[in-house]
Amino acid sequence: MGNMAYLGPEWTEEARTRLKAELTPENMHHVTSSMSNIYQNTPDGKEKYLYIAFEDGNVGEFQVGEGEPPAAEFKIIADYETFAKISRGELGAVRALTSRKLTLRGNMAKAMRLAPRVDRMNKVLASIPTDY
Amino acid sequence: MAADNTNNERYAVDVQQRIKDIQALMREREIDVYLGTRIRTMSFIVDAFVPWRSYLVIPAEGLPTIFTFVIDADRLLSETWMDEDHVRGYFGAGGADQIEAVQFFIEDELGIRKGRLGYETGMATYTAEGWMTHYEFEQYSEALPGFEFVNAHDIVDHVSLIKDEGTINRFREAGRIVDEGHKAARAAVENGGWKGMTETELGGIAALAMRRAGSVSEWNFAGLNEISSGWRTGLGACTPPTTKEFAAGEPLMFDLHGMFKLALGDHSHNYLLAPATERQRWHADNFVACVQFVADNYRAGATPGDLITQLGEFAEERNCSDFILPGVEHGIGLFGDEWRVGASMDVPIPYWTDPEHTYQENEMVILAMQYAAKEEDVGFRYENPIVILKDGCELTSKYPLAIEEIE
Repeated sequence: MGNMAYLGPEWTEEARTRLKAELTPENMHHVTSSMSNIYQNTPDGKEKYLYIAFEDGNVGEFQVGEGEPPAAEFKIIADYETFAKISRGELGAVRALTSRKLTLRGNMAKAMRLAPRVDRMNKVLASIPTDY
Repeated sequence: MAADNTNNERYAVDVQQRIKDIQALMREREIDVYLGTRIRTMSFIVDAFVPWRSYLVIPAEGLPTIFTFVIDADRLLSETWMDEDHVRGYFGAGGADQIEAVQFFIEDELGIRKGRLGYETGMATYTAEGWMTHYEFEQYSEALPGFEFVNAHDIVDHVSLIKDEGTINRFREAGRIVDEGHKAARAAVENGGWKGMTETELGGIAALAMRRAGSVSEWNFAGLNEISSGWRTGLGACTPPTTKEFAAGEPLMFDLHGMFKLALGDHSHNYLLAPATERQRWHADNFVACVQFVADNYRAGATPGDLITQLGEFAEERNCSDFILPGVEHGIGLFGDEWRVGASMDVPIPYWTDPEHTYQENEMVILAMQYAAKEEDVGFRYENPIVILKDGCELTSKYPLAIEEIE
């Protein structure tokens, strides 16, 4: 399998397939929540989003798009390069948050509780051969 | 005896009504959102122990949301009536610090970007009142430029002035707990037990007894249990305990603090360590008589000014007016609420008791008296949370009013 362009249609389909296969309701602790990653300063200059929803631990809607994302419980805003570094394992999500490279909008206490599950999701995404 | 934590009906309070009352006053003042920072505001609405710096956002309609330090958010969630969506944590992270967490919540979730924002500023006698700091004010003003900031703490002060039955019952239990502390303190010092004992040690002995009886705090904001002996009693106030050892012939002042379901137990009791002089005994008898006089005169319709005047005349008759400091009370409420009497901002000396405040039924104050013979190193302090009744008052600590001589 060759590398796929980050956030491109092929990458999005692969991400959806892998997330649905690898994240189980049990290891996601039956979580019901949603989040939108907002990508700023992208290579093509367009603001993009990655939206994912979980229903009772099952991966539900998964979208990548441009412009206004669907309403989500959590909104995470950062530069494209910051998200890319997190996906490549070059930057920890907590380090990015505490250095204000990431901005979270939503219930922080709940986000902290959900953090291990988001890490699980990021590990799946990081396993996709990707060109950033 | 451990605290009665099972009879929740007895201690039930109607927080929803409190919120409605606050929101009605907000609408009257055209305030779109109230941003509370005082400990007393948290206690009154969250109805749980909120020791960390927190921010309570009350919209003009709907439920309030609290933002507290993230490490304590889950503990708070387990104790308050509020649900997960309304107990938030803040943390030093992008979008999640004290400023942005509140800003984003108001903008994104309440959907308000302009209007009037009520906040809490003023002054107090103790550090931890929780007023919005100047830095916070500047940061919030910058983060929420569409809002006019108006000082509105008197809204909460007004709504919390008259205590409901559940709150009064909590104070009664807090009074019982503090009495357990006094029994333990008395037992520790009697029969020569005081020899070699320090003020701090006595404070700890009383704290342990009160914790065993159900207290969860000695109120860190007031210096914990306030114990004085010797010359510091001559100041008429307890103040934090020191490592000074008790000594024969000295007065002792034990001002114990407990807390039950946020209600603050606060009772000061005094002793004379033998051998007491005739002069010490005379001072002690004056003090007891003055406290009893004030307790007999508290009632709905009275004012602090009336009581101070009457006490002054009574003390004059006993020839001890030089030793009575001018005051008969201070305010009391749930955790964080321990000073001013009344809710009016329009008082002769801002943030001090209004001498013309007319006590109402089911208002609570601390009956407090300071007797200070500084040059003689003799003084006494009385404190007891009381409930104002139509024709009198109820003392919540039942510890007998007396000054005994301890051998």
